[in-house]
Amino acid sequence: MGIVVTGVGIVSALGVGVERNLERICRGESGISATPTLLRTANRLPVGEIAVTNEQLHSMLSIPQSEHLSRTALLGILAVREAMAGADIDYTRRVGLVSSTSVGGMDLTEHFFESFIEDDSRGRLRDVRMHDCAASTDAIARHCGINGYRTTISTACSSAANAIIAGAKLLKHNIVDYVVVGGSDALSAFTLNGFKSLMILDGEPCRPFDSSRAGLNLGEGAGYLVLQREEEACSYYCHLSGYSNRNDAHHQTASSAEGNGAYQAMAQALQMAGVEPQSVDYINAHGTGTGNNDASESAAFIRLFGDNVPPFSSTKAFTGHTLAAAGGIEAVLSVLSIVRGCRYPNLNFTTPIAEYGLHPVTAFEQAKIDSVLTNSFGFGGNCSSLLFTR
Amino acid sequence: MEQLVQELKEHLIEELNLEEITPEDIDAAAPLFGDGLGLDSIDALEIILILEKYYGVKLANSAEAKPVFYSVNSLAEYIMQNRK
Amino acid sequence: MRCYIDSVVTAQDVATDIKLLIPDAGLRRRMSRVIKSAVTTAVECVGGTEGIDALDAIITATGWGCLADSEKFLRNMIVEHEQLLNPTPFIQSTFNTVGGQIALLRHNHCYNVTYVNRSHSFEDALLDAMMRIADGESCNVLVGAFDEQTPSQHRIMERMGAFRTVADGEGAVFARLTAQRSEQSVAQVTAIDFLCQSLTVEQCRERYATRADATVVYNGYAKYGLFPTSAAYTFAEAVRLVQQGESEVVVYNEYFGAAPAVFRVQCIG
Repeated sequence: MGIVVTGVGIVSALGVGVERNLERICRGESGISATPTLLRTANRLPVGEIAVTNEQLHSMLSIPQSEHLSRTALLGILAVREAMAGADIDYTRRVGLVSSTSVGGMDLTEHFFESFIEDDSRGRLRDVRMHDCAASTDAIARHCGINGYRTTISTACSSAANAIIAGAKLLKHNIVDYVVVGGSDALSAFTLNGFKSLMILDGEPCRPFDSSRAGLNLGEGAGYLVLQREEEACSYYCHLSGYSNRNDAHHQTASSAEGNGAYQAMAQALQMAGVEPQSVDYINAHGTGTGNNDASESAAFIRLFGDNVPPFSSTKAFTGHTLAAAGGIEAVLSVLSIVRGCRYPNLNFTTPIAEYGLHPVTAFEQAKIDSVLTNSFGFGGNCSSLLFTR
Repeated sequence: MEQLVQELKEHLIEELNLEEITPEDIDAAAPLFGDGLGLDSIDALEIILILEKYYGVKLANSAEAKPVFYSVNSLAEYIMQNRK
Repeated sequence: MRCYIDSVVTAQDVATDIKLLIPDAGLRRRMSRVIKSAVTTAVECVGGTEGIDALDAIITATGWGCLADSEKFLRNMIVEHEQLLNPTPFIQSTFNTVGGQIALLRHNHCYNVTYVNRSHSFEDALLDAMMRIADGESCNVLVGAFDEQTPSQHRIMERMGAFRTVADGEGAVFARLTAQRSEQSVAQVTAIDFLCQSLTVEQCRERYATRADATVVYNGYAKYGLFPTSAAYTFAEAVRLVQQGESEVVVYNEYFGAAPAVFRVQCIG
């Protein structure tokens, strides 16, 4: 049974909506700012922050301020509404949701904890009500007319790719008729300090796949797709024809030098789709800009594609690394790569990594694109790849 | 120096949560990473914090820092040279 | 959909020394209480670390994740004004830590995913396992759930008025599910369903029981305490009932206003 994409939605540091995101990528404009302006933190580090406050998001979505939703939920609702508006959904049928997040309601919990640790009878309870991951999923479902099966996945930075895989299985097993899949993560002081403690945040805009790369920039956003069974869709953007979830099983945070998990995930996704490695037209890489990820991913590319590594790029220098949302945002960009016939530039690249000699795409290119592979890797060794085809 | 080595061993055991290891079990000249105590990249980050927190010594997690991380002795020497 | 159950172990059942179950001291020393509890339960469930080699899917479930580590990092961040923070609790706070550590123990590269969907987390993991087995994608799946209590979590839920009728709780449960029946099979799962509306005991029986003598475990989670994955304990209970001679057990859980979920465990043969 074929699975097709019938709707897409994005919100990222580049802006709200698919068109705005594409427009800025086309112009080569990054969404990364020198420091956070909305996030409460003492860290002066570059981030991909969405310049819209939670109050503004509530208004934009016509959700009363009194609902006091987490930023993760608000960003998710924004992207899901766009994705669902584009798909021709019959709401009398079963509409499911597989959403992912790694931050959940941490932005609100941080506020709560400041008071709570002084005195445990203090802190407003409405600030911890949305702490758990499923709270954002419930809010999205409630505000987007989703009536069917819904679940939440959290596998660190590979989360949204795994949500997309889970959604495809729900369609195949006839548990839902439409499924909205993807992820959302807000910036939080918790994650910014967490990545800082790992010393993998670059103080400059990130430079994926460049020999001078010195870490990632965190970002925030949401990216969702609507998936359907092919025979039931009147029209569609493209197919989700292959996917794979593998584990690198090398180290809790570091990727193996040989890129074992990445290699297996990409190879299996291609095998499932019956697509030969040499026919991949574009790879939207995980490409975080850390020394370890980009080396490991490059090694995996060379293992799988040999001397013919397809045109590839990381779009994280545009959006920042949006954690659980990254796989969703990049899946949407991969779908649009096929639909609009384009490859995205890998910003801030000048010199290839000596050991691999790989050159990513550095300018916005128009081309006929029939198949796009997209990678999402995370802590805990999670490596997932998705293959979209025309 | 001897006192510093002893102190460092205690900080390592405490901060890295080394189970059932006493300061006497740690050979101050033996490698900390790989075959020695079996520490890894996460421990390297924790050791950077030990140096900064207890001795006010800053160290970047870079290739140049590698010889400093070799053993308890090399850490102690670096602290002696750089502490204010 | 159908799958066989080879073993079910709860954290309370674990009798083997942790050093045998998690031999790698390097992994063990960073583990918080809940991670140790969940990983030892998982390893006991597969009969020792070598049992991990045979797994072709590792599916974990947690409502709250690694709360103590999350809280430790958050507290340090606030108290230390975002300076000199230890990375370990941040690394260990991610929801997929347990699944990742199980894979890491034996470098198992198989499918590995974590469901974090409140009171449905365990049932969602079980559904995924059953779909994988039905599709022939996996034939030896580890499914498990875990949640931990912390003083802060207890205090917050107490302030929310959560413990008026049910006591606080925590725990871990892991099960090994297989596609093929074997000598080790002790029971089978033959149905799982997610409902929009509440059912009475009679309605559950009418809709899900296939035998006249079926037992219905109705909201059994309450006896295991208030934590999102307590339903996993009702799964262990259903398997135990079948092992003790019941032919069929239908489990219905409706966790504090959440949409209900149902699964059916049957004897083999």
